[in-house]
Amino acid sequence: MLQTLKTTLLKVIDLTALGFLEPYVRLAYGEEPTKQLRKIGQFTVVPVLVIIAGLLVWATMISPNVKTKSGELPSPTVVASAAGSLHQFAIREGNKEAAYVATGEEREAWLADVEAELESIGAEVESANATVVEARKAEAASKSERIAPLQAKVDALKTAMKEERAAKQAALKEQAASLPVGDNPQRAAYLGELAGLNAWLDEQKAEIDTIDDQIKLIRDEKDPAVLAALSQQTAVAEREQYLKKMAEQLGEDNRQARVATGQEKLDVAKTTFFNAEGAAAFNAAKKVISAEERLAKTEESSYAKPATLYYQIQRSILCVFAGFFLGSAIAIPIGVLCGLSTTFMGAMTPFIALFKPVSPIVWLPIALIVASALIPDPDKHWFTQWMWELPLIGQYKINPAFMASAVTVALCSLWATMVNTALGVASVDKDHLNVAKVLRLGFWSRLFKIVLPSSLPLVFAGLRISLGVGWMVLIAAELLSSSEGIGKFVWDQFNNGASDSFAKMMVVVFIVGAIGLLLDRIMVVFQRLVSFEGSIAAV
Amino acid sequence: MLTELLERFVTAPRPRRVLPGVAAAFLVSAGTASALGPAEVPAVDSGETEMLDLEKDELKFGFIKLTDCAPIVIAKEKGFFDDEGLSVEVIAQPNWKTLLDNVISGELDGAHMLSGQPIAATIGFGTKAHIITAFTMDLNGNGITVSNAIWEQMQENDPALDTDQPSHPISAAALKPIVEERIADGEKLQMGMVFPVSTHNYEIRYWLAAAGIHPGMYTETDIGGRTDAQVELSVTPPPMMPATLEAGNIQGYCVGEPWNQQAVAKGIGVPVTTNYDVWKNNPEKVFGVTKAWADENPQTMLAVTKALIRAGRWLDETDDAGYLVNREEAARILSRPDYVGADYDVIKNSMTGYFYFQRTDKRAMPDFNVFYKYFCTYPWYSDGVWFLTQMRRWGQITEPKPAEWYHATAKEVYKPDIYLAAARMLVEEGFILEEEIPWDTDGYKPATDEFIDGKTYDGKDPLGYLASFQIGNPE
Repeated sequence: MLQTLKTTLLKVIDLTALGFLEPYVRLAYGEEPTKQLRKIGQFTVVPVLVIIAGLLVWATMISPNVKTKSGELPSPTVVASAAGSLHQFAIREGNKEAAYVATGEEREAWLADVEAELESIGAEVESANATVVEARKAEAASKSERIAPLQAKVDALKTAMKEERAAKQAALKEQAASLPVGDNPQRAAYLGELAGLNAWLDEQKAEIDTIDDQIKLIRDEKDPAVLAALSQQTAVAEREQYLKKMAEQLGEDNRQARVATGQEKLDVAKTTFFNAEGAAAFNAAKKVISAEERLAKTEESSYAKPATLYYQIQRSILCVFAGFFLGSAIAIPIGVLCGLSTTFMGAMTPFIALFKPVSPIVWLPIALIVASALIPDPDKHWFTQWMWELPLIGQYKINPAFMASAVTVALCSLWATMVNTALGVASVDKDHLNVAKVLRLGFWSRLFKIVLPSSLPLVFAGLRISLGVGWMVLIAAELLSSSEGIGKFVWDQFNNGASDSFAKMMVVVFIVGAIGLLLDRIMVVFQRLVSFEGSIAAV
Repeated sequence: MLTELLERFVTAPRPRRVLPGVAAAFLVSAGTASALGPAEVPAVDSGETEMLDLEKDELKFGFIKLTDCAPIVIAKEKGFFDDEGLSVEVIAQPNWKTLLDNVISGELDGAHMLSGQPIAATIGFGTKAHIITAFTMDLNGNGITVSNAIWEQMQENDPALDTDQPSHPISAAALKPIVEERIADGEKLQMGMVFPVSTHNYEIRYWLAAAGIHPGMYTETDIGGRTDAQVELSVTPPPMMPATLEAGNIQGYCVGEPWNQQAVAKGIGVPVTTNYDVWKNNPEKVFGVTKAWADENPQTMLAVTKALIRAGRWLDETDDAGYLVNREEAARILSRPDYVGADYDVIKNSMTGYFYFQRTDKRAMPDFNVFYKYFCTYPWYSDGVWFLTQMRRWGQITEPKPAEWYHATAKEVYKPDIYLAAARMLVEEGFILEEEIPWDTDGYKPATDEFIDGKTYDGKDPLGYLASFQIGNPE
């Protein structure tokens, strides 16, 4: 029993290509402990150490030294806190959404909590503001203290230079008045003197400039105390704002409260209608209908929640798979035909060769134009309407920008699958085909019983490459099409240009990497499942 | 449909008050325009919103990450859209072109637009589509920034600039020798602006041309606008400006906030002038929708305009001392990552009425951003005509046009009747005051000479204005 579990575990590890786990299993079964420990050291400890070393190098050597005027490379702690603030944003927006639809006692209790917090935060806001003011003052004082001697030096140099220049120029002018005409050597010497004066002036200016630059550097310095005070102030102010909004969402702006107001208005309208006489009854009736409609809309209304990073990640993954399946649906049949018939392959080669190297940046605008042409008004078009009504997928609001991104992913990623499928089909063992001939199998049975099964490993190898390419392409496509997703997130952050924008973009680097890794692992599993040595039967 | 609705507002007997404003707007040119609006906006006791029969209540509006998108963001965050029964999603757009395309394709219902965009789209310069506006979002708000190196050379050329607080306005005269020197060396100074039909393009051209520097003409074959240019202008999206300047691809740019303050904060450039100095209280952004959308959703259009007017008013609300009471909160809201997203500190400068020209040069500019005062939100025909004159001046409109064409085109784009209907409802609901809206205007602001070159602009005489320029098409 235990032994079978071990074999299964090892098979699963092998299947998912998570080889580093293997020594743990073997160690648990007491199999050659020293050898396993060495393997653990080799495949777990060493990589972990390298990661730690990398983080250390990043934290201590790279990020403090890479500072340009456009910004600085965020350190690991800054990136971690940026990830925290992204998460917080998502949580807060989620709360606002939930608060809007909260009802009854739950709503009241929540509102009481929020109001209590709101009351206590006033003092915090004030103290944070005071800290900023003080930190600023301290910074200004220390800076002006450091600048003052330099500035004095510059001023002294400038006056000295001006005086000396005036004196020398006056002397030269006097000399010029008495220059004898025709005495060219003397005149040449005079020219030399003037040039000398200019050179001396340049020297003086350069000296002043150096000190000026020092002053500028001091002015540009960012005082850590001020930065800390500012970020504290921002955190508190943002929390205050959030609490205020929450109080509204739970209070007067709450859906339940709105429904109640709508109901009241409807009742008033109804009373008016019931008492109305003559022509006025028509108008009163109209009002009742419109009040009813409004009430129905209010009952179904929801908070217009901005896209959070989590939503964007989900939408990106949906988009990459949409593109991937679309691409595969095109690539595999064409690949099979190419593999089966050299004539067809010959016919397709020019297209493949021509379109394969085209960059996503080129496909995207074309795809966008086509998608928007097919769906001129996404709010009314039956296709988008139908998509928005679907369970699960509906919330991602598939629109032309999404479709264009998916099509771009498909167009860029299908080539690996197509080429690999063609190769796989073309390299089916001749013996197998001969057997098929002997058995007089028809085209379809030959295709599904012989050709496809034996070419599957290569097809999946192609699909794996395609998905990887698609994921990379998608980020660029979203960035350009501004289809809600990770790419748009990156572009928005870049546009924000706030002090934490770079850190937030770094967070995305890790997220994109992790998702890419995960997708690759998934494809590896599929690839092994269809290949001979890793088939399901073997587990 | 729209006219039908408006007629209802205009002609329906009202128990409370007659409607001089709306009626006057329909009768057109009922006397001269009044002086330019109140300069202070007191708080009002809030009223109650009367719901309209909305055709559509879930809307998507686009914006570009600039502080002047504030009215849309504030209308959402302060619940003014909610009050009208609208659920609005506000979505950042990567650039002006995509924003316009998304409005035209129906992906967005409406958007924060450059004043020139609806006009250009309507006359078919660039993408053709009939876009209208019933709401001007703000006045002023742009700056012209040059790189540190250029600033130093300008200081050398004009020693008066070589102080910590040089006197304003700074003209491009000190830039001219640099431009000429560059041309003698066989190269041209490169500067950035954000879009071919953006206010920034016209403002930087105006500023350069006022000092006798030719910024280049658009022709039928040269859609980059560089024919005869002494300074070459190119398009760069606003958020990319500081980085592009630092990389040395451009030596200066004209852009909205926070991207000038960002240059100061990062120490890479010096804002030399703001568009307040180029043209005092010039129109900047508008809220644009397609005509088809407005025709299909007339009630929704009114509701949106109402919410936006209230947002503009909220932004410009002052206390007795004239202090803009809501601007810090607005800056805090705008600094959220899903809105403008720049640091609060950077946004706060210009939003609360201050502007850093250098680290050492912080000045009070209470009118740097105007969202409501001076009849700001009214969609003036004369603003449209001004943009048309500039499009003609620089050759974006390739043929000379008669004066009537200017007026007719402005009237196709600017829709004060919708604005006035919305404002009338707000007055009755108690959200705004009667005197804050120019009820009796014919849509043309009084002639003004508050330009950097001292020229007089009268919206009623576009051809005379064009003829007054030395550089650019004279007719």
